[in-house]
Amino acid sequence: MDFELPKENDPRRVEVRAWFEARPRPTGRQLAEAGYATPHWPKPWGLAADAEMQVVIDEEMKRAGVTPPANPVAINNCAQSLLTHGTEAQRERFLVPALAGEELWCMLFSEPVGGSDLGSLRTTARREGDHYVVNGQKIWTSLAHKAKVGVLVARTDPSASKHAGLSEFLIDMNTPGVTVRPIIDLTGHENEYNEVFFEDVIVPADRLLGQEGEGWALSMRQLQTERVALSKPGAIWGSGPSARELIAGLDAVGALEDPLVRDEAARIYIEGEILRLLAYRSLSDRMNAKTPGPEGAIRKMLAAPHGQRIVDLAKRVQGPRGLLSGESAFPAKGGRRGFDDWDYAFWFSPAVTLGVGTQEILKNVVGERMLGLPREYDPSARGPWNESQGGTTSPAPVREPAKPAEAAR
Amino acid sequence: MNFSLSDDHRLLQDSARTFLDREISLKALLAPGATVRDAGYADNWAKIAQMGWAGLMIPEEFGGAGLGCIDLVMIIEELGRTLTPSPFLGTLLGTLALIKGGDGALQTRVLPRVAAGELALALAVAESDGREEGPDRETLAESHGDGWRISGRKSFVIDAAAAQLLIVAARSAPDGARRLFLVDARKHGVEVEIDPWRDITRQVCTVTLLDAEAEPLDGGDVWPWVRDRALLALAAENAAGIRQVLDTTAAYARERVAFGRPIGAYQAIKHSLADMLGQAEAAQAAVLYAAWALSEEDARAPLAAAMAKAYSSDAYVEAAHRSIQIFGAIGFTWEMPNHLYLKRARANAEMFGASHEHRSRVIDLARAELAA
Repeated sequence: MDFELPKENDPRRVEVRAWFEARPRPTGRQLAEAGYATPHWPKPWGLAADAEMQVVIDEEMKRAGVTPPANPVAINNCAQSLLTHGTEAQRERFLVPALAGEELWCMLFSEPVGGSDLGSLRTTARREGDHYVVNGQKIWTSLAHKAKVGVLVARTDPSASKHAGLSEFLIDMNTPGVTVRPIIDLTGHENEYNEVFFEDVIVPADRLLGQEGEGWALSMRQLQTERVALSKPGAIWGSGPSARELIAGLDAVGALEDPLVRDEAARIYIEGEILRLLAYRSLSDRMNAKTPGPEGAIRKMLAAPHGQRIVDLAKRVQGPRGLLSGESAFPAKGGRRGFDDWDYAFWFSPAVTLGVGTQEILKNVVGERMLGLPREYDPSARGPWNESQGGTTSPAPVREPAKPAEAAR
Repeated sequence: MNFSLSDDHRLLQDSARTFLDREISLKALLAPGATVRDAGYADNWAKIAQMGWAGLMIPEEFGGAGLGCIDLVMIIEELGRTLTPSPFLGTLLGTLALIKGGDGALQTRVLPRVAAGELALALAVAESDGREEGPDRETLAESHGDGWRISGRKSFVIDAAAAQLLIVAARSAPDGARRLFLVDARKHGVEVEIDPWRDITRQVCTVTLLDAEAEPLDGGDVWPWVRDRALLALAAENAAGIRQVLDTTAAYARERVAFGRPIGAYQAIKHSLADMLGQAEAAQAAVLYAAWALSEEDARAPLAAAMAKAYSSDAYVEAAHRSIQIFGAIGFTWEMPNHLYLKRARANAEMFGASHEHRSRVIDLARAELAA
């Protein structure tokens, strides 16, 4: 056991640093082609980097002031499925533009009828000759308004059981019949989420990922991969302010002199340090075990409320000033916006125990898969799906506004 | 960077687990009215000494195993998981004080006999207010022509009644400096009384000294080096205790049926257990990191030890309480082991500094690190 990171003169570190010194402003494509977009992936797409090497690459990239290509859905969740389940043509077409950040991806999973209960989805993909015809509606889709590629889970066999009838597709978001509408969330900021409507959308058959009926297994694996990727130290799914930044911020305004603030800040700091250890450990495990396991769910279960506590304490030390729109507790690091802005991060933070598995679903997963507790009872999971739905095989009418309770996934 | 235990560590852990599962029973303590005198301290210690654990951290030149903090955690976790009543912890703390503060002659005289299991030790640093770091208002040492003598009282001394030798902190005249002394517990002027301590798996004692002969430890600064290792030891007990409480409670929730289903099927119970698992994983990660940092004498070691102790103490109390809640009323009875874990958790939370005190130190250390 050894918690030490490679030293300044470690040859692996020196090599990474030299690469970034030779290319002070690398393009996304240069990073992707060198394997720096997904270092933990196997070659040629990544560098087969172990946990230690990933941390070194992260540190050296930060030192060089290089921001890695931003394409979270592809890089953190879905694109890895192409390595195991994609065709050669799919890898050729999609991977480099995805890893280079040239084509943004989005995940078309949740529906108005279910986020936590993803398997109850009603969007259908009906095979007709050399293509599928997609009808239905998705909701809570991050980035749909900017994405070029959508990873769609749809029901291809309504007569199969709930989870067995699902398949996954890589669709072009510009296809006629796809309509994207923004959802304005409680922050009032530019939209993070969207609704996506499908009306007789034609998807070529070679855009099926894996086999028909593999959609449930693929999407579950992709969501678990996300849990691993999301456990960086920031308050909002790994991004934004960290506990260390909270301590620095509180110190700068003198708030640590208050013994109650001090004690609460220490609790948050300790959690943050432990989460770093757990994140490194799971990177190690991931290298060895290959497939992400339910440990990722434990870490997200701890990380999400931890993130809420970070931004909550910062907001409370502001007093009533903190209720003024846009009034941040501390300056955003590097003057960047988004989740680095303490005020936005606070108002956004209710989402972190909803998105990518609600806290309640995560606790079910942890209790059932790691402690062997009895599974939740789902009467709709037995027998043919269309029979348990009272014969409904066509998609639900889709124009109702979604209720907040359905935000869960 | 490597977060996995080595094969040697796993082997040590497995052999400790097998041994303790076979040899240690808490049965006598589960009879109502039992006290620590029924805990089997002496028998257990004889068995443990045979395993060589008395000399675990004693350097090989003094007949010990010369192992480090990570190895220590492998053993202590198993002792903590089983709540094994024995003077292991007192002897460990005394040993650490001698390793750090004793001179060569003293070490040569005492440590081989500790390693052989012939002598048990105890570290007497706290006073009646519970503080371990001084200023020792209640204990005064004076130098006479024929050596040092101590008078006064030390409180909350772990394993003193089982120990032959005590390491006692005292304010020394005339300069008022804090010094540690070796005191023979069997000699005139030393009285040890076992406290009515709620955690009956552990001897906690009051030591009264009246002109007791004392030999100063002048080899080096003991505090806070010993404190940080004491924090690690308690944190390791805590982390393993959380895991044990979780395992037994989850097993109960899988079997106990109410309203036609195992109670673990209900989310109120399932989610509570999931929270416990999160805390168990977190506590263990903190303990292993502290063990590594201490074994490397890393600059973050004091911070890591304080974090591990504070986090694991609070989580252990919470887990032990949840366990009683999930077992229901049967978990509230003396004949079930649940209360032994709750009492160990509460006791560990108060020893060597309460959680909020460590958290206050964590802030100072974190500030210093962030400013650097």
